[in-house]
Amino acid sequence: MTKRPVKLLPIWIAVSSVIILAGIILFALLGFNYSAERNARKTVEVEYDVVVVTDPTGVAMLKETCEDVFKKTGVSYSDFSQTVKIDASTGSETVGGKLVYTFSANLSDESLAAVKAGIDTKIIERTAEGILPVGADISVSVHELANYHFTDAAWRGAIAVAVGAVVALVYIAIRFGVGCALTGLTVCVHDVFLSLGLLAILRIPVYFFAPIVVGAVAAFMSLLLWLIQCMKMRDNFKSPSYASYSADEAVEQSSKSAAKAVYITAAAMGIVLAVFTIALAIASAQLGAILLPLVCLIPVGISVYSSLLFGPALHVPVKTAFDKIKFKHKRRLGKAKAEKKKEEN
Amino acid sequence: MGKKKSAILITLLTLVIAALCFICTVSFSYGTDGMYTFNSILRTTAKDADLGGIYGANGYKGGGISVTYYPEGVITAKEYTDNIGAYADETEREEYENSYVPYLGGTLYLDKEDVCGNGTEPTEEFKTAFENTLQILQDRYALLKKDGAELAVKDDYTVRVFLPQMMDASLVAFTVNSYTGDFSVRYGSDAATAPEILPALRKKTIDDYFKRAYSRTSADGTSYVALQFTKEGKEVLAEETQNANTMYFMVGENQVIPLTISEAVDTDVLYISGSYTPETAAIYANVINTVMKSPDAENTLALTVGDSLKYEALYGNGTLTALYAAYGVCFAAMMAFFFVRYRKLGFVHLYTYLIFTFIMILCVYGISFLYLSLETFLAFLLVSLLLSVSNVITFEYAKKEYANGKTMTSSVKEGYKKSFWHVFDLHIVIAVLSFIVYGIGLSNLSLFAFILGLGTIFSGLACLGLNRLTWAAMMSFTPKKGAFCNFKREEVEDDD
Repeated sequence: MTKRPVKLLPIWIAVSSVIILAGIILFALLGFNYSAERNARKTVEVEYDVVVVTDPTGVAMLKETCEDVFKKTGVSYSDFSQTVKIDASTGSETVGGKLVYTFSANLSDESLAAVKAGIDTKIIERTAEGILPVGADISVSVHELANYHFTDAAWRGAIAVAVGAVVALVYIAIRFGVGCALTGLTVCVHDVFLSLGLLAILRIPVYFFAPIVVGAVAAFMSLLLWLIQCMKMRDNFKSPSYASYSADEAVEQSSKSAAKAVYITAAAMGIVLAVFTIALAIASAQLGAILLPLVCLIPVGISVYSSLLFGPALHVPVKTAFDKIKFKHKRRLGKAKAEKKKEEN
Repeated sequence: MGKKKSAILITLLTLVIAALCFICTVSFSYGTDGMYTFNSILRTTAKDADLGGIYGANGYKGGGISVTYYPEGVITAKEYTDNIGAYADETEREEYENSYVPYLGGTLYLDKEDVCGNGTEPTEEFKTAFENTLQILQDRYALLKKDGAELAVKDDYTVRVFLPQMMDASLVAFTVNSYTGDFSVRYGSDAATAPEILPALRKKTIDDYFKRAYSRTSADGTSYVALQFTKEGKEVLAEETQNANTMYFMVGENQVIPLTISEAVDTDVLYISGSYTPETAAIYANVINTVMKSPDAENTLALTVGDSLKYEALYGNGTLTALYAAYGVCFAAMMAFFFVRYRKLGFVHLYTYLIFTFIMILCVYGISFLYLSLETFLAFLLVSLLLSVSNVITFEYAKKEYANGKTMTSSVKEGYKKSFWHVFDLHIVIAVLSFIVYGIGLSNLSLFAFILGLGTIFSGLACLGLNRLTWAAMMSFTPKKGAFCNFKREEVEDDD
């Protein structure tokens, strides 16, 4: 006989704990995979002057020259920018620019030196052949870069999401009861940690700010789906048919009736993120840009799991405890009323 | 609602939607040879540097500007080669060649005496000074709080900085942020020769005289750099500035702010206006603050700003078009759902949604700190989802009431009554969360949260107000109200 999901709280806790613990260990050892950020990188910069710009095919030929050398030396770049020089005081474009090719930081210095030498030689050859304009000032340089991160935005974002979630839960406590808010808080924290844990385990290459986005989406979706559950519970628990149910039966039935709304909301969110991903994939070759909305599907999936399995199972003991307190309070009030009546009589 | 009133309302709404649609989305050229251009609101809305796309008449394509800072004694291979080429005298050339040491295989050239202490590697002293300089640059660019700003150490001893194109004062920031050295105040007729009145005159540190610098913008739009003095600072300045002359606020040997005065400066806070914008005033204030707060400000390196280079958008020039296409797909899917499930009631949602959309576009255009970015776009899609879900909730409640045998008017009324608190709770929780995140968060997250919060308010108003009005107006034209909404009565089985 299959066990009902609301009775499987220890299993849900075990599953989540394993993932969160594994995530914490991996995070402590390796951190998140920020390779999309291009933290450390190497670049080949080809600077050219007015002679190349004014030549009708100058810049195109220079690009082709570089591409030929890359092919020949067997190296491939991860990003390319064609920059234009601007006047430092007016901001208007001046003649001249740079072709900037970005490579992985792992590319050896020897390969990079070979690329530089190759481009230098090829430029001389092509100028002699008349393919590149004569008299042009073209210089090739290789560089190493290490990015610095402005961490203010990340930690303030984390505080902002935490404070926002707590205030939203205070509202839930006022509208749906402290029990619902406590379960909501636990589910929210659980979803944020589980999402970040999975992000650390899966080692998806992301931008520096991605963990805070994933955490924010997890908190947002978790609150939203738990709110749907709370609304359903409040409506359902008023119904006379629920009066005869025990706490676990009532929560289970209500959770089942909310499942459709939860699935639809999560699916709609999933569709929005998927369309967003496709649009970015069409427009951009930036891996991080494409993966960011896809990574946000992790918290969406987790919030569905929490809202339908972990949350209801957790809410059963919470509801039982709060029902007991309510019952005791009612009995005390009844006794007080009866005593008062007795005294009056 | 009567038929006449409904007809007038629907006509008015249709005209408003058509006008908004035109203003917000249509751009075209006119006049001889397309000399003039009518730019839509979407086109003129500020856009994030990451997004490529046309912005206004200037053909802005996103991206940003980068510069490289070179500490004194550090030059590029190109500069080194060019300088050697400029020497006609062989001995002078050789002397110049010997005064530099190649670094990283000739990527950079380091001054043998100043940087390497006559050795071949940078001295510890230079390394420490570079670290101090880097720290000040990091602090200054972090204080800009600009989404998309980047700072990287390039070739160990130069610093590359990138600022997004949408930042108006990026060129000012590049120049002013390069000022290094101690903060001091000079008083005289010429910055180079004027005597230092603070702090050198009293042999104290600048902290004894200054509390902080900050920027303010008044209601009339004038921006100020404000300098707050300590009690001691105020007394010294009042004493030293008796004659009409010019005060020079200096960082190292760079003149940051000149201030001509006609009477003694006797105030706690000195508000200095000039040709500052809010952005430039903040940049100047940050430069002074970072120098004052840095214990190592005197042990920093003078910086030279390299060429300014304009970069294309990070996500490519077609990103905006792709995002519009993504929006189109989501819009089509949403409308297909509403028309299939609710037939002509879909028009009610369409009208509500379009007005909601155009209001959001106008807000992003009109509110000065908002701009179109990936975050804005995602937040807008989420609030669109919220409005759709809210409308579905109200429609479903009304549908249930109608199925139970109530009249359409009564079903709509009851449907709204029953769904009110659901819709309210949904909106209030999201709005509270969003505005708190907006208040505390920074840059892109803050922007995302503001759009989400603003959209949530409009979504609530649209669902509970506008949607109901449009529904009442549209339904008054049809005698078969159930068929209009695709609502069906519940079938009751006969016992016979």
